[in-house]
Formats: sequence, C-alpha cells, structure tokens
Amino acid sequence: MTQHSPFPCQRYQKQFSSRRDMLRRCASGFGAIALAGLAHDPAYGLEASASEASASAGELGAAGHGPHHQVRAKNVIFLYMDGGPSQIDTFDPKPLLDKFNGQNPATLFEVEPTQFNNNGNVLASPWKFQQHGQSGIPVSSLFPHVATCVDEMAVVRSMVSEFPEHTFANYFLHTGSGLQGRPSMGAWVNYGLGSVNQNLPGFVVINGGLIPPGGLDCFGSGFLPASYQGSVFKPSGSGVANIAPTEPTPERQRQKLDLIGKLDGFSADQFGRHDSVDSAIRNYELAYAMQMAVPEVMALKDEPAYIQTMYGMDSDYEPTRIYAAQCLIARRMVESGVRFIELTCPKVGGDRWDQHSNLKDGHENNARAVDQPIAALLKDLRQRGLLDETLVVWAGEFGRTPFAQGSNGRDHNQFGFTVWMAGGGVKRGTTYGATDEFGYKAIENRTEVHDLHATLLHLMGVDHTRSTFRFGGRDMRLTDVKGHVVHDIVA
Amino acid sequence: MFPIRHPAPLRCFALLVVFQLTVSSVRPTTSPAAEIPTPQQLEFFEKEVRPLLVEHCYSCHSVDAKKLQAGLYVDSLKALLEGGDSGPAIVPGDPDASLLVEAVRYESYEMPPQGKLPAKDIQTFQRWVEMGAPWPPEAPPTQQDSRPEFHLQERVDQHWVWKPVTTPPVPTVRDTAWPRQDLDFFVLEKLEAANLQPATDADRSALLRRIFFDLIGLPPTVEQAEKYLSDPSPDATERLIDELLRSPQFGERWGRHWLDLVRYAESRGHEFDNDSVNAFQYRDYVIRALNADVPYDQLVREHIAGDLLDPPRLNPDKGFNESILATGFWFLGEWVHSPVDIRKDESDRFDNMIDVMSKTFMGVTVSCARCHDHKFDAISTADYYSLTGFLQGSDYRQVRFESLEHNRRIAEQLSRLDAQYQKSVEQLLSSDETKLAIDESMDPEATQSILFDFGTISKDDYLQDGFTFGSAPHRSGQPMLASAGETLSIRFADGSAAASDSFWNGLESVSEKGVNRQSRLSKLPRSGRTLRTPTFELTDGALACLVRGSGNIVACVDSHRLIAGPLHGETVKEFKATDGWVELNLSRYLGHRLHLEFSPNQDAQLEIFLVTQGASSQVRDQLAKRQQQIAESVAEYTNLVREHHSGELAKLATAWSNERAELRSKVMWRSSLAMAMMDGTGEDAQVLIRGNSSKPGKIEPRHFLTAVTGDQPMVIGRGSGRRELAAAINDPSNPLTARVIVNRIWHHLLGRGIVPTTDDFGVLGQRPTHPELLDHLATQFSADGQSIKSMIRRIMLSRTYQMSSRADADAMLADPKNLLWHHRPPQRLEGEAIRDALLTLSGQIDLTQFGESIPIHLTPFMDGRGRPGQSGPIDGARRRSIYTAVRRNFLSPFMLTFDTPVPFSTMGRRNVSNVPAQALILMNDPLVVDLAKKWAQRSIEMHDETASRIHWMYVSAFARQPSDNEMAAATAYLNDHADPRKGVKDDVQLWSDFAHALINTKEFIFLR
Repeated sequence: MTQHSPFPCQRYQKQFSSRRDMLRRCASGFGAIALAGLAHDPAYGLEASASEASASAGELGAAGHGPHHQVRAKNVIFLYMDGGPSQIDTFDPKPLLDKFNGQNPATLFEVEPTQFNNNGNVLASPWKFQQHGQSGIPVSSLFPHVATCVDEMAVVRSMVSEFPEHTFANYFLHTGSGLQGRPSMGAWVNYGLGSVNQNLPGFVVINGGLIPPGGLDCFGSGFLPASYQGSVFKPSGSGVANIAPTEPTPERQRQKLDLIGKLDGFSADQFGRHDSVDSAIRNYELAYAMQMAVPEVMALKDEPAYIQTMYGMDSDYEPTRIYAAQCLIARRMVESGVRFIELTCPKVGGDRWDQHSNLKDGHENNARAVDQPIAALLKDLRQRGLLDETLVVWAGEFGRTPFAQGSNGRDHNQFGFTVWMAGGGVKRGTTYGATDEFGYKAIENRTEVHDLHATLLHLMGVDHTRSTFRFGGRDMRLTDVKGHVVHDIVA
Repeated sequence: MFPIRHPAPLRCFALLVVFQLTVSSVRPTTSPAAEIPTPQQLEFFEKEVRPLLVEHCYSCHSVDAKKLQAGLYVDSLKALLEGGDSGPAIVPGDPDASLLVEAVRYESYEMPPQGKLPAKDIQTFQRWVEMGAPWPPEAPPTQQDSRPEFHLQERVDQHWVWKPVTTPPVPTVRDTAWPRQDLDFFVLEKLEAANLQPATDADRSALLRRIFFDLIGLPPTVEQAEKYLSDPSPDATERLIDELLRSPQFGERWGRHWLDLVRYAESRGHEFDNDSVNAFQYRDYVIRALNADVPYDQLVREHIAGDLLDPPRLNPDKGFNESILATGFWFLGEWVHSPVDIRKDESDRFDNMIDVMSKTFMGVTVSCARCHDHKFDAISTADYYSLTGFLQGSDYRQVRFESLEHNRRIAEQLSRLDAQYQKSVEQLLSSDETKLAIDESMDPEATQSILFDFGTISKDDYLQDGFTFGSAPHRSGQPMLASAGETLSIRFADGSAAASDSFWNGLESVSEKGVNRQSRLSKLPRSGRTLRTPTFELTDGALACLVRGSGNIVACVDSHRLIAGPLHGETVKEFKATDGWVELNLSRYLGHRLHLEFSPNQDAQLEIFLVTQGASSQVRDQLAKRQQQIAESVAEYTNLVREHHSGELAKLATAWSNERAELRSKVMWRSSLAMAMMDGTGEDAQVLIRGNSSKPGKIEPRHFLTAVTGDQPMVIGRGSGRRELAAAINDPSNPLTARVIVNRIWHHLLGRGIVPTTDDFGVLGQRPTHPELLDHLATQFSADGQSIKSMIRRIMLSRTYQMSSRADADAMLADPKNLLWHHRPPQRLEGEAIRDALLTLSGQIDLTQFGESIPIHLTPFMDGRGRPGQSGPIDGARRRSIYTAVRRNFLSPFMLTFDTPVPFSTMGRRNVSNVPAQALILMNDPLVVDLAKKWAQRSIEMHDETASRIHWMYVSAFARQPSDNEMAAATAYLNDHADPRKGVKDDVQLWSDFAHALINTKEFIFLR
C-alpha cells in the first residue's frame, strides 16, 4: 500500500517487514507461516478493485475507510423479522384502537393505498400490553421473554420506509436502495472496517429457513468485491457450502495441498512476481484454516446444558429450537470476531410475519419462535461482557396497518413501525419517536431507514457520509445521499 | 392523437403561480408582496414566523444549511418567491396555492420531515401567507458558497471526452524493430520517454493459452497445443488467431462479455423471480451477431431500434429477422408485480433502461442526472428526461420473430388481393341505382365520450403486433369475403371496425418452457395477433369498448405488464362471445398514461368498433343502437345486391376465396417468440422534479445528449424516434461511441482499459492512460468498417499484447502499476472460463450451441421465494457456462464467487477478487472433484506410463510440458501416496488427487 488513509483502516494488521516478504514466506510452502500471523490486509481480498475511485487497480478508495471516530460496536447481530411485524401488537400500544375497534378507518383518518387494497375496519390489538423493567417500556404479551430485557433496549417507534412491497422494502432495509443488486449492510460494514477473523467470513447470514423476498441478493455485495458478500450458513451440520473436505482423511488433503504449494513454487518464476498470484496462493492457507474454524464455531454441543436450555434448544416447538441454535451460533461468531451476523426467521408453518389474515395465530407462532432465544442472546451477551460491543438490531421491513385487511389480518404499513436496538453503545431503556394515536403514521422524530443505517454505522465508528465506493460514476454510500445519525438513542 | 402528456395537477398549480406573478408585475403597487407591511405585521413575522423558519427549516433551506435541499432557500422573501426545484414556495395572499403551506400541512411534501408541526404553527404559516407574507426590507443573507450552477458548455469544454475523436500521427520511436502494429508505436513511445524497457515476448505456451482463452474462452486441446507449439512458421500465431476468430465458440466467449453490459438475466428478480420469457433468444442473437462480425454501428442500430429497420438484417440460414431480437436488451431488467405506485415503477424501469443504454454504448452515466443535473458531467436532467421520451413511445412484446418477415410479405399480398377484389365488387355494383346509404353521424354528447372510433382512426394510429387486424380497419359497407365457417359469399362490413381476419387462424407461437410464470398476460395468446390503441391519459375511470367476438382487452398502464398478485388485475379483461360493450373500471389510474391492447381468443374473431371514456349508459345504449342501425342498412343493401347479382357475386367469391386459400397455404404458422420492442405513440416525457414520479414538471422534447448535439428537439418522423436516436449514437461526430467500444476490446485483451473505468468516461471516471492511442484505435475501427474482429486481431497481433507477464525489474520499480504497459500482468480467468476449462479437460464438454438454458443447479443454500421446483443438473448438462440459466434470485454460487456480476446494471469491468472461498470451491466442490477424476481417467486410458500421463496432463492443462522439477515432484507424490495394493499405475483415486492438485495450482486459473 503506497497510500494511507488518515484513518487507520487496518487496526488488526500486524506489521511485517514488508508485505512482499510475508507473501514470499507464505508462498514457500503451506504451514510455513503461523495462522496467527494472517492478519487482514484489504489488498489481499481485492486484486483489482472495481472502485473507480482509485487511480489504479489494487487499492481501496482511501476515503471510505473507517473507523472515523470512537467505536462503540465491534459487531452487529441483525435479527431480521421477515414480513413486517405489527408495531401496534408488539412495542407500540395504542389504546385508542380498542375504543374505535370495528369502525371504518376512513372516518377517523386518511387511509393510503395499500398492497392488497382490501381494507377493513379498525382492528384493536388482540394482545395486552404491560410496562416492564425500570424503564417501564411497554411490551405486548407476544414477547414475555424479550420483555424482561427492555432495560437494555432503545425502542424506535417512528420508523418509516419508502416501500409497501416486501421485496423493495427488503432491499431497502438491507441495502439502502429499493432496487436489486446493491451491497448489503453487512457488506458495507466489512468494506468499511475489515474483518477481525480471517478464518471466518466477515458477513454471515444464519438462515433459519426463510430467505426473504428478494432472495439472496438481500445479502449481496453488489458492486463491492465478492469478498464482502454474505455467506449463508445453515444452523446445523457443516454450516456452509464447500467447507467439508472431500478427501477421506485430513492427511490426504494435507498431502495434496503440499503438492499444490510445491508446484506453485516452481511455476512462480514463469509468472514473474505478482501480488495477485501470491494472494491466490495465500488463499489456500486461509481456506484450509476456514475448514477448521467453521466446524468449531458450529459446535453447539460444546455449550453447557444450562446455556442450551436458556436459549430454548430443548423447546418443544421446533422453530424455537432452530432460532435458539441461530442465536447461539451468532453469539459464538461474535466471540470469534465475525463482524456482521444476520439471522433470518425459521418457518412456523403459516407465513412469516406477514399476517394478511389470521393475525393472532401467525404473530403468536412467529413470536414464539424468536422470543426466548432473543432474550437469552441479550442476557448471554451481557453476562459475558459482550453486549456493550455488540449491537443487536431487531427490525422488519415495515409494520402493519392499524385497520384490518379482510376481517382478521393487517396489510403492509410503511408509514410508521417499530424497531429496537440493544447493546453496542445504544442508550439503554429508552424509547424514541412516536406514531399517531392510531399507530398508523410516524409523527414525532420520524426515522428513516437511511437514519437507521447511519446510526448503525456511527455506532461502529464509521461516518456514513465518508464510507463510499465509486461505481457507475458516483461515490456510492449505504445511505445514498440521505441519512442522519439518531444521536438521541446513542449512549 | 395525444402526442404529449397533459398537465398534471402540479402543472396547473405552476400556471396559477405564473398568472399570479404576472398580475403582480403588471400592477406592482397592489401586489400583496410589494405592499409595505404594517408594524403589527412585521412584529407578527418576527415573533411568530421567523422563529419557526429558523427552528424547523433553516438546517436544510438557508445559506447556513450544511447541504441545501431541493434548491430552496427560505431565509429571504426573494428566495421564497423564486422558490426551488418545485417552483415558487409561496404565493403571497394565497396559502392554498403556496407550496410551503402545502408542505407543512403534509399535503404534498411533508415538511419538516421529522414530524408534522403542531396545528398552531401550521396556522401561523397560513396566516402569514394570507396577509401577504410580510417581511422587513432587508438584504437577503449572503451566501457563503454561491448556489452551485450547472454550466453544461463549460463542462463540455473542460472534459476530454467531449472533444472530437482525432487522428493522431503514429509516433516515432527509437527502437523501430520493436513495434509490429501501429498501436505498438503509441505504447513504445511512452515507454521510451520514461526510459522503460518493455518486457520480452511471452513464451509460446503462454501466448497459446492466452490466445485461446481470450478468443474462445476454452483451453487448447493437447492436439491443438502440440500443433501450434511445433509449427515454426512465422505466421503461425496469425493463422491461429484467424482460425479462432472463425470458431463458433468465439461468439460465446465475447457474447458473455457483452451480456455483462446489458445486465442479462432470464428472470425478473423481485419477490417471485418470474421468468424473463425467452430472454435466451437475445443471448443467442448476441452470439450469432458476434460470430458474424456484424459491424458495430449495425449492432448499435439493432439494439436501439432493430424493430424499425427497413430492411432488417436477416438470418443467413433461416431468413428470419435478426435485427429485432437485439431490442430485447431493453427489457432484460427487473420487473415488479403489484407495485402500489405504478408510475414510480415505470420511472424506475426507465431509469435502468437509460442507465444501461447510456453506459453500454456511450460510457456515460446519464442516470446520475435523474434527480438533478449531473454533479460532474455535462449532462442535464433535461437530457435524462429527453431520453426517457424515446422509451415512452416504445412498448414490450413477445414477437414472432421467425415468421415476422415471411408473414409480412403474405400480409402485403393479402392486402393487395383484397383490395383488388373489393374493387371488382365495387365495379360490379357501380352501375346499380341503389347505393348503400349509411348514416354514421353521432350525437354530440356521444362524440365527446368517444376515445377511439375505428371508423375514423388515422393510419398512423392503427398499430398492431402482427397482421391479424389487416392493414386498415373495415369501413362500413366495405365488400369482404364471408369469414370461415359461413357460407361462401360476398358480404359487406356491417360497421366500421378493427377486425381480426380468420385468414390468420392457426398461428402457433412457441415459448421456452420456463420455470415460473405468474403474469396473467403470458397465458393469453397475444403474440402476432394484437391491436393496440394510441396512448392516452385517463380522465375518467369508466372505459367501455364496443366489440363483437371473444378475446381480451389489456389496459397497459404506465407500461406495467407483470400482472400478478393482489393489484392491477382490473387492467386485464377477458370476455367470451360478446356483441356489445365490454367495460373496464380503471378508476385507480386516473391521470395515468395508458393504451389498450385487443386480442381475439385462439382461433376466434374479434371486431372493435368504438372505445369510450366516461360514457353514460344512455350514451352507450345510443351508440350500440347506432351500430345496429348501420348493420341494418348494410343488411338491407346486401339482400338487394345479392338478388341482383347473385351469379357474379358467387363467381367473385369463389375466385377470391381460392386466391386467399392459396396465399394462406404459404403462411408460416409456427414461430418462436422473443422479447422485442414495438413502436407506439411518439411522446415527449415530462421532467420529474428530483426524480420523483409524483412531481412531474415541464415537457422535455426528445433529443440526444446536449453536450454532443445541442438541446434542439430531434426531427422525428413518426413513432418513438429510436431510429433517429440510433443514428445520433452512431454519428461519426459523436465522440463517445467508437472510443467506448475500442476501449472495451482493449480492456478484455489487456486486462485494463486505456480508460480503466470502461463504463464511465465522465469526470469521475479515470482518464485515458494513452489518449492518442485511444483515438488512433477509434479511427482505425471506423476505417475497418467497425469490425470488432478486425480490432481484436490488430490488438492480438501487436507486440504489446504479446509481451510476457515477467516485467523488467527497473520498469516494475518505476511504474509498479504498469500504467505504461511495460508487461502484460497475469489475468485470472473468469468463473465461466474456469468451469468450461474443467469440462474440457475432463472430456465432458458438450459444445452444442444455443437454445433454452440449462436450469441452474440448486444447492441447499439457495433458497427463497420463486425457487425453481426442480434443480438443474450439477454439471449443467456439460454445456458451456453461458448456457446455464441466469435467475436473478438464484445465481450460481460458483460464478458469484469468481465475480460474475449480479445482473442489475452495466458491468464492463468485472471485479477480480481473490478470496478463500475461491480456494474452497476448487478444493471441495463436488463438481470440481468429479471433473478432476474424469480428467485423470482420460489420462489413464490414454497412457500407460506415469511420465507420459503427467506429460499429457500438463499439456492439456497448461499448454506446456512439465519442467524437470515438476516431473520429479509429481512422480514423488504419486509414488509416495499410491495405494500399495494397487500401485501407482492402477490407483485411480491417486491420479484423481493428482489431477485435482493440478487444477488447484495457480497456473490453472491464471493466464501468464
């Protein structure tokens, strides 16, 4: 690297006498270099960056690289609530709905077009709310376990999105753009900060079973290099594709790798020395290490029984067991230094949090799947001293209407919904913003998805306006040209 | 009929403002704004209003704003009256017409964005505007940074790319022995100027592998390698290049490069990943066109306006229309079902189409000007919307491309034939005393509700896909042949109508099988048998069509066509045998642009007489009755005529029918379908303020980029104007097109473009390292008749291309980034080339070309909505990678890991990442392991000896012999790890492991 950012982007890099030296040693044979020495160097992940910002291939645009300021959160666990949980049935109580239950909403407020345009009457929440903890934050009876953690949480009740359709809204929440093909939050975070652990991907999606509408592109790296794309794990078995060696014994693979190393050494002269080839050689050592690291992080059986029970691994409800495993793996990944971990929802039989009908059953099943594991995750991170450096985000792509779709469902509502965050430098036990008296539209401290992203990056020490990547003639950002950090929920 | 968009509410509002201001300027003394405010008013302003402005608005709308929003300042009266992007912010005295008030009321804009102000504060603003917006006389606050202005011409003058392409002289160099091609002089000149030594020539093995992969994306076979390596003649390389340029595999390799530009995919992404039906026909077109070396200007023309070319380029073997297939590229983007905001959906689709078109052909980022004038380049928002106008007059269809030209000739003959017999009938009847008298007059009230009357519609507005509806509508009383099924006779049209002709019954259209097709439209037999109306704006949701027959009506609103899911079902109306009105309730789309499409049911007939908008039932009854009366008059006349001329008419009918039957026997009934454009009503688009589709602004006439041709409206004959657009892109005075394409070719052959940012030649892109060389190549390209193959050949025969990857040490020190091209850096193969090479080595590759894609193999990690019901074969049916299905939501993990782009926009330069996941795939992917084994088995079958097996494997993988070191290491490995029970010779697993190891060496995935 000949250019240096004014901000140290390689916090975890140990110094070698020179990069080339290190590569040489690496190239001289497998096992010749200790894994501990395999520190991150952004250039290794990227031979010819397509960022048009750099005057030549091979260097990251210096401008975008964090951290830019104090780091509160080193890792993120994103609990993605696919389908759009209802704000007025979870964290945003609206007593007025009881009063006007069954009335025509159009007589009470202006009703916007919705996805299904099959709007019924005002529908009161079937669940009771209660205040919890010292903060007294109200939570509905859908989340008895999470309710015990409210003092850790900052509940934002004034979220708005730009899209009422799942796919747009999913892309928007994940990438800051409603269109397909843009880099996901996890990719941006890793692009901005690099990865602590070289043996595990920096952006992992632990798939409980429901890939959100819009597909794997919700987790893509878009125009950022492929190294930043989310790796999809399953919460069981070997976890990720192509991680299990095909050779019958580890020795057999080792022998093969040694031969590869030897042959690469011979042909090096034919190439002349090039970083690209050297890096490709080094990847084999990294891949080999990854083969070890992944099974290790997946080994939930190593967890003590009481921890497994706490997460719900022995629940009699299968989706709870699946989500428990996801949360537990997420915690283990945080311990291993994975930057960004997203959890998708398990299948609960009916639909994701998308109750166009049967609100009661659907929301109860979805809540039941995630409630206990989430509470356990928060408590476990706290007791290990990890919560302060781990930002946990709970969010759907939008909320739901306070009036019914048909008789017993709710349609999509992007005008006002609730997300919460915990840990990672978030102000504890606080609520922020408000919807109107029906819980329909955010009216106080409207918080846009771009603001959520700006705040998330801020907590990680990244200035969202400075983390940029030039593509198609623009300096692209996760927050596009928008976004304000919500300082009121930062501790 | 409706050539331009009608003013939307906002425009009405804008007019109102203009009116107000005009009044003010005429009578300045009575203008509220000019009145001298009373002290009480000023006090009210200072105490109540200014604090609100400061607290809630200044952070984004004042000279102190960190970043000014919407171009609006609210810190002086003058600024408020001038307004921002959306026009004046206040109309003194008229709160309801004031945007500022509208915005704080949350009626249009919602300001401030953090939350609606308390009712009291909104009242305050209202009252203040009402009293004439009193503001003390004060100088507007001075702006620290003056409002950034957009000077297009200044930007044109300042940036290299807008300058005309020059013809630079070939430079002189000291080492005249080095250059082989003119282009080498340009490279060497700079190296000599920097006192750098070019690398030596690449060795022949390296060169051989380079040429094979660069030209056809496949490795040489052992035989091909040995033939070239043992050919001592000086022109061996040239002959090899020429041979591979002629190879059918050339188009597959370079076609894949092209597909990256046009975000090629075979599904629509979004929620359910619906099929992009028959997208593969476009892929096949590209491969054929590149193999045929279609001149680049023709390629451009076909992409932009291939449906409008007369004559089109015909397939040399099958005679079908090739040109029209290229227009499919416009439609390869994402499509959304059930968008709530259907107009925004259109503007997003248009944005992607403009983005891809402008980057692909011109290397400029026009889409950056969607919301504001380009921040850096000489491209205005007006330029952007002037280009969207070309799309507004262009439609999507599934065209019967195979039968199109053939049946067009038949249709022309049919039209002449019918005219001839009509004339005969008319002549026969001309001497009769009784004439047909038809009263086609209409009640004035009814006239008002008529949207289209096919009795009077103009020829230019009679638009159809196919020929089923004849060359013109029937006119009442026009002689015709009774349709099939009726007794053979001459009859007379009993009304003026667009009428399908049973002549065409039996058309059969062939689509790919597909995976996931939810659109209601795809289930209707519409291709080649659809009539469309001109585009119009909906002013009343109640549409009704007076028809006879059975079929369907599709209201194509804002060009939205993926009709699936909860919304927009009302835009499709299917009806069984009907003789009367078919109604559509489109009230959801008031104020939107749309047109109607009519198709008869399969093998049924359909006549369309009238289309009304907002007609009452009385009016419709009256119009139906009128139709009936016309029919009665015709019937009466028919009876009369038949009595008088039964013999002659029967004779004519028989002859006419026979001639028609003979012609009909020549119809090409069966045809494949492909995505293509169809010209509709020529329209200019409205500028959308800040890119917001709910804020339409002024009309921008269609023109090309102002920076190139100025902003005068283009002269457009008729329709969308895409033919004229293509001509502008191809015009030799356009400095972009030729430079962009030669740079792309250079990029693919040398690994980095002369302009490294291949899709952005703008200010934010990088500058050419060799500007003269770029222009030299561009000039040469034009002189070569825009032949892509000739340009490839020139570059490949150059010394620059043939340099070794081993750089001169001093040169490396002085120019580590190789900006001056002193060596050719190793190139990592793309995912497709790696997979294709593995298939080749294993002997498995199936080089069958073209056709429907092989379904993508689905791993357990590939999940989500729209997942194909069946996984494709793990080996992709052993076909080349370009034939594996590209489904947006289920892209191949193998390809993604090796940087095959996600298809959303133009990607002329792929990332070249270098990550452990690539190693994991080559180490552990079951397909790789399996192909390694098959390769090993081939070597075992072919050779007995260890050494000859190793030798053969080295030549097949690397096009070279193993060195002594390599031979020793390989032999040692084999000897050390052989299963003792089998021995080296018969241990298949051992040889598979060895083959697998060779695949994992870097030389396998890098070109020296």
